[in-house]
Amino acid sequence: MRARGSSCRRPEHKSTDLSLEQRFIDSVSSGGTDLGRAKFQRTPASQSPAFSLLNRDLSRGSSNPLLLRHLNQTLAAGRSEMITIPYLTALTTYFSYGLLFVFGQLRDFFRKIIDWWSHSSLQGYAPICLGLEDFYIRRLYLRIQDCFNRPISSPPDSWFDVVERVSKDNNKTLQRTKNVSRCLNLGSYNYLGFAAADEYCTPRVIESLKRFSPSTCSTRVDGGTTTLHTKLEQCVARFVGKPASVVFGMGYVTNSAILPVLIGKGGLIISDSLNHNSIVNGARGSGATVRVFQHNTPSHLEKVLREQIADGQPRTHRPWKKIFVLVEGIYSMEGELCKLPEIVAVCKKYKAYVYLDEAHSIGRQPFCPSPLCELLGVDTADVDVMMGTFTKSFGSCGGYIAGSEELIQYLKYACPAHLYATSISPPAAQQIISSIEVILGEDGSSRGARKIARIRENSNFFRSELQKMGFEVLGDNDSPVMPVMLYNPSKIPAFSRECLKRNVAVVTVAFPATPLLLARARICISAAHTREDLVKALEVISSVGDLVGSRVAKFSHMAFRG
Amino acid sequence: MAKLYVQAVPTTDLNRNTEWFTYPGVWTIYILILFFSWLVVLSVFGCSPGMAWTIVHLSHFVVTYQFFHWKKGTPFAEDQGVYNRLTWWEQIENGKQLTRNRKFLTVVPVVLYLIASHTTDYQHPMLFFNTLAVFILVVAKFPHMHKVRIFGINADQ
Repeated sequence: MRARGSSCRRPEHKSTDLSLEQRFIDSVSSGGTDLGRAKFQRTPASQSPAFSLLNRDLSRGSSNPLLLRHLNQTLAAGRSEMITIPYLTALTTYFSYGLLFVFGQLRDFFRKIIDWWSHSSLQGYAPICLGLEDFYIRRLYLRIQDCFNRPISSPPDSWFDVVERVSKDNNKTLQRTKNVSRCLNLGSYNYLGFAAADEYCTPRVIESLKRFSPSTCSTRVDGGTTTLHTKLEQCVARFVGKPASVVFGMGYVTNSAILPVLIGKGGLIISDSLNHNSIVNGARGSGATVRVFQHNTPSHLEKVLREQIADGQPRTHRPWKKIFVLVEGIYSMEGELCKLPEIVAVCKKYKAYVYLDEAHSIGRQPFCPSPLCELLGVDTADVDVMMGTFTKSFGSCGGYIAGSEELIQYLKYACPAHLYATSISPPAAQQIISSIEVILGEDGSSRGARKIARIRENSNFFRSELQKMGFEVLGDNDSPVMPVMLYNPSKIPAFSRECLKRNVAVVTVAFPATPLLLARARICISAAHTREDLVKALEVISSVGDLVGSRVAKFSHMAFRG
Repeated sequence: MAKLYVQAVPTTDLNRNTEWFTYPGVWTIYILILFFSWLVVLSVFGCSPGMAWTIVHLSHFVVTYQFFHWKKGTPFAEDQGVYNRLTWWEQIENGKQLTRNRKFLTVVPVVLYLIASHTTDYQHPMLFFNTLAVFILVVAKFPHMHKVRIFGINADQ
């Protein structure tokens, strides 16, 4: 978590009386098109690192609020991100985890004694899993299992049906019942509201389902490339602003299958410390040496790069074959943006490739090309490989990689996910194409622009209200992902269950997906949420927060967000 | 509380099993737990303070030896077993020796030993066990003992 900027630095929240469309049009006309023009001017690396691009937009009077705030951050003295936590909370959190750990160990000890006396069913075979590796699952996760993996029985729209489950053996196993409760959905990645039936997308998807059938039943190279796939790849490349792209059936697989193709033994991967598991697995699977830099800290990235380049490969000290820096556009557990201009500047200086995972940031600006690069003033040609998924903003499944023609051509020959995995399902592909058309306004209406404005509105409203109520909320402004800090492990199931009783479904995350002290409830706002939905959510969260005692941020943080 | 909030730089340690040790408040809670357990032992057994410190010292020895120097690997499956041959002590801070945390963890058993011996007036059966405990613990934490398995004790199959 970091300290947030004080309220005087948020000019964009003043006028709430203008209609959504009016405010959106204002921001487009004053800030947007300028940025659009700025993007197409190719700036030579030596002359203009990120700062001068940003300065030029600032001088043009850009009113894009996110850009302004980011400018403030970059122009300030480069402080690395700090974690702020109340001291007593830290102590009690350690104590709680210690207590849970001790009880788990005691139970394991007694279980071992009892099992020693009973007959083993293994009969000479080695156990698949030693008791040590799943200690966390057995003794900590299973106790609160009912807060995770909840089955739903309707599309994940703003309201959905959550199936109730009961347990007869104290949460060791759960059985589904026939009862279903209608809950407000604060957990799905449904940012633009495409998860439910859409008036433009759904008829086209059904038509493509009838025409192409649910599955291509083949890999891309054998017989699984339909006209939809080629159209989708062109559409995605155009949307992102790169010459070409390749599309895969699953987002996780995109990262974990592409990284081993791009880099191998003898190469160096430097990845952000809070990168997603798919990136970590892909990096590990590639065989390259992996180093980590402090989250979102370009100065530390530079330090690590210098050290590693000077050192060379381990043991032989030969120069590295190639260097990749892996960052994400928006970090899903923090809700904050990447400091892309500085990172790209550092990578250019040391001739390292940049791999940007835009899973959460794609699709939320109506301009071509890549919205994040657009927003932060980075030329898309400076980011070498852009990756994204279609699950978050497009209501579909799958992932893509976009880059230069030669890179995509090479990937199509070399990537196992392209050669051996079934291609993306045709109705899913059609959903992506249709939703891209809606976002860009090519369907003839302004629904896309309105959705984008609404999600920004909703996010800002919700975040500011939560902060006013005294919750510690992470994430940048305009980011629809807002983690509400809970810290203590016992508050996680309490928060989750109490919210469910009041018909609000939230996703709570704890160790080891987050650092030990920083357990949180992650709220994802969608463009499908109406103002009444948000108000109800705020009421519920407020009462549950009082019950659970998680209103820790009594003061507004005056420290400058660095 | 002097400071209501603490700040700490986020760590780059990818090992979830050990990265929690670099955050603020760990040293304080360690010392507080030891002190609290001394109070509990005193109230439950009703023995002399020296005896209570000896009991705390010896149980601290058993617990820390078991979890720092005997159990290997991590309690989660996500890291796919890369640390399965390393004990917790060998895993912290990626194996870098003589860091602040390691020095702190080496000093704590020694301080406990001094308190236990002093409060029991260096009398015999307790002194022997306390000395043995602190000797084993401190030797196990030497930098030269990194990844060393004496006589194959606790080595992998």
